[in-house]
Amino acid sequence: MIGDRPLALVLVEMILLVLVGPLVTGTIQKMKARLQCRQGAGVFQPYRDLAKLFRKGTVQADTTSGFFWSIPVLVLAATVAAGALVPVIRAGPPAFPLGDAVMLLGLLALARFLTAVGALDAGGAFGGMGASREMTIAPLVEPVLMMVVFSTAVAAGTTELGALAAHRGTSWFLAWRAADFLGFAAMLVLLPAETGRIPVDNPDTHLELTMLHEGMLLEHSGPGFGCMALASHTRQIVTLSLVSALFFPIGPAGGAAGLLLGAGAFAVKILVLATFLALVESSYAKLRLFRVPQYLGVGFVCALTALALRIL
Amino acid sequence: MESGPGVIAACYGAGALLSLLLARWSGRLALVVSHLAAAAGAAAGLALSLGLLLGEPGRTLIRPLPNFFPFAKLSLLIDGLSAYFLLVVSVVAVAAAIYGPAYLRAHSPDAGSTRQAAQGFALNVFLGCMAFLCCAGDALTFLFCWEGMTLASYVLVVSDDRDGENARAGLLYMVMAHGGTALLLVAFLALTERAGAFDFAALRAAAAGLDGPTRTTLFFLALGGFATKAGVVPLHVWLPRAHPAAPSHVSALMSGVMLKVAIYGLLRFTFDLLAPVAGPLPFSWGWTVLFVGTTSAVLGVLYALQQHDLKRLLAFHSVENIGIILIGVGLAMILWRQSTGGALATVALTAALLHTVNHAAFKGLLFLGAGSVLSRTHLRNIEELGGLARRMPWTAGLFLLGAVAISALPPLNGFVSEWLTFQALLGGATRFHGPAGLVIVFSAAMLALTGGLAAACFAKAFGVTFLGRPRTSQAEHATEAPPSMIAGMLWLGALCVALGVAPGYAMRLLDAPTAALLHGPGASAVVTARGPLVLSTALTPSGTNGTAISMTMVAALLIALSAIALLLRRGVRRAPQRVAPTWTCGMTPTARFDYTATAFAKPLRLVFAALYHPRREVTRETAGTPYVVGRIHYAGEIVDLAETHIYHRVEREISALSQLIRARSTGRIYGYIGFVLAALFVALLLLGVAY
Repeated sequence: MIGDRPLALVLVEMILLVLVGPLVTGTIQKMKARLQCRQGAGVFQPYRDLAKLFRKGTVQADTTSGFFWSIPVLVLAATVAAGALVPVIRAGPPAFPLGDAVMLLGLLALARFLTAVGALDAGGAFGGMGASREMTIAPLVEPVLMMVVFSTAVAAGTTELGALAAHRGTSWFLAWRAADFLGFAAMLVLLPAETGRIPVDNPDTHLELTMLHEGMLLEHSGPGFGCMALASHTRQIVTLSLVSALFFPIGPAGGAAGLLLGAGAFAVKILVLATFLALVESSYAKLRLFRVPQYLGVGFVCALTALALRIL
Repeated sequence: MESGPGVIAACYGAGALLSLLLARWSGRLALVVSHLAAAAGAAAGLALSLGLLLGEPGRTLIRPLPNFFPFAKLSLLIDGLSAYFLLVVSVVAVAAAIYGPAYLRAHSPDAGSTRQAAQGFALNVFLGCMAFLCCAGDALTFLFCWEGMTLASYVLVVSDDRDGENARAGLLYMVMAHGGTALLLVAFLALTERAGAFDFAALRAAAAGLDGPTRTTLFFLALGGFATKAGVVPLHVWLPRAHPAAPSHVSALMSGVMLKVAIYGLLRFTFDLLAPVAGPLPFSWGWTVLFVGTTSAVLGVLYALQQHDLKRLLAFHSVENIGIILIGVGLAMILWRQSTGGALATVALTAALLHTVNHAAFKGLLFLGAGSVLSRTHLRNIEELGGLARRMPWTAGLFLLGAVAISALPPLNGFVSEWLTFQALLGGATRFHGPAGLVIVFSAAMLALTGGLAAACFAKAFGVTFLGRPRTSQAEHATEAPPSMIAGMLWLGALCVALGVAPGYAMRLLDAPTAALLHGPGASAVVTARGPLVLSTALTPSGTNGTAISMTMVAALLIALSAIALLLRRGVRRAPQRVAPTWTCGMTPTARFDYTATAFAKPLRLVFAALYHPRREVTRETAGTPYVVGRIHYAGEIVDLAETHIYHRVEREISALSQLIRARSTGRIYGYIGFVLAALFVALLLLGVAY
């Protein structure tokens, strides 16, 4: 299926995602702070942190191999490339085929794999602990995510995200069926796991008992850490965009007005999902690691039921 | 091209004979010459198969063989499918032959010339048998090559003689392989007896007259035989023992190629010989294959995760990947000749065949990488390794490449074939509504689980082996492997990249085998619609919708983004760079702070405890008072469910039976002759009643 989303628009959307990513993190942090009756840092704090990191020097562990230096580069590249695969402000497949939902999940998995490999390089127990836990949760999240994608792909006959979004059309809210509700519920269960937030992971702590993702970043410093942090922000917004592309896309709309409308709608959708994440983070405690599979099991059941409803 | 098979036979034959002859003077010379001959044979195989695959479509090469037997005409028949599997065999054989001599010299420097002669001889026989098995045009040649392949690989498994464990592994392999061969013999002889001849055309004609139940019985016999060789769960128990025991380049061949030859046999027997003349295959065939494929994929990777022996871990991953291939094969069986699933069957078979060559490339690469580590450190337990990336950078880089490929991560080749499998599964699910569709989608979810677990496993395998600090002095003093070994790995690594970044070109190679097998459209007619750099499939029966991806574009995007990220990584200004010890909470950092493989896999061991039945034993030696612990000894193991639930049970039954017989076994020869006579009498009586 050849689409009409020019390559330039795809690249602009990708850059937009990278630029807005830290803002989403800042917004969630601000909302969390307000919910906890704190003033909190400004929503632009992640940008300041990034700017600081990219200006700092580095301290590298003496046991690391040559791979360690290039890990942040590859992780950032893979995550940003995943950002090129989600439709942001306009639905429809790109004019030249790039990748589909499976490719997007594959690129995110590549970034995760490389992060885990990098964590083992420094030879500290914290990195290994983080890598081990992350690589325990990831294989459990991936099949459920894949099933959620399939539950919408079965209806559209394609796994290309732009085409999936276009298939739903502009009046998606009238056409939602039980399968969509269940699929969306599964996605909401997965969202904290995929973005590394409570109740699966805690992004605010560096305490070895509670952390997953942050543990893997401990040995990175300076610009390398900046790259990893930017990749985390990008990963979060890419995941949120994936949810919106699958469940409430803005349909194809031409012209500058359509693009503006799409951008506005995108902002609203991301804000809604970010609010959800902030609310969940503020109202739940982190789960024990070995409770997480049960938690993800809820998502699995929802996704399987959604698929069954779609296929039967 | 006409002389192709002759050249291949001459090269392998010369290699085998020269190995025996030259060993009288120098074992080393015999080793080098036999491997060179093997490389030449593999190159000839490569040329022949590429010529057939890229030449005029539908071409079949038929060569009569000399008449060894008065009762059967032997021949070679090389069609698209044969050529494709000959390609798979030859691709890995080239790498193994380049890699072999240096590896054997480094791994066992004190080997006698007899052993070296045997290794060179067996390697050439092994490769020759695999090549000609794919080209066989009659059942007799097929079965002879099959047996030759088994025996030669057995010699290679036990040739690396370090302890009794190899001999036990070889024995188990021998028993299992011949159990499988027995099933195959029954399946083939049932057909040849009806046909009155051995060549495939006669068998096909004989199979056309079979009734349904007989056909299905023969299929399940053949499936049992081929699945034993392919290492499908629960027939896999020999594989993780025998494959690691062989020299590493032979492990690469056994895992990367020999299992695929079993897949070739299954495809040839099912689609070509046994399939009914018209209409879809019987219902039970495809679903069984899909089920065992899914089970093998998941269980294979789960058991791989808990292995700490590098080569054993890789062997379990072969079980997983054979499962992935069988998912595609099973789906193709289900969809073949269905009223609307014709093109989808081609997609499924394309996925399976592409994964066949992909797995050969990356598994070959990984085994060669493991071999480099083994030859330099003489250690296979990854808990004793570590820090090798700084000492063996080429091996480490290439192993990482293979790890990314086998974990089905873009932009390498493993992702491409898994993507195609996903597309075929999704298409199958839209094609079959109802429970069947749900089963197919569940299989897709299991495939996603498999990919995720493989990534976890290889993060562990690569990280613990190559990164961090060395844990033993052997690992600390390891040096890079010699150039010829790296060259062998580079060849397979380049294939992984090429098949990943430009898979559209591989579709061209898949045209002939898919068309030959399914008699439908070729692979490139249904998978690439827009040029060689784009993969696209049409999933819905009407073909209106579909999915297109471009691995080339994604790879280009990744490279461009990496270049930009590299600039960011350098930092915006020149800032001080410092190297410091890793923070270990104030204690002196040693290798004991590195996360071990056991610890890494522990969370998954607990999550999947129902499948592992993990057992652990911790003994504390206290010094005087219970509050001061002097030493802690930890032992842990997991069990293979198939082994405990099936094999041990069978073993117990057999032992119990033997105990019963023992009472009658007096040691007197008359008694035994009496038993034989009685058995003969009963057999004649039974057969007489049956006919």
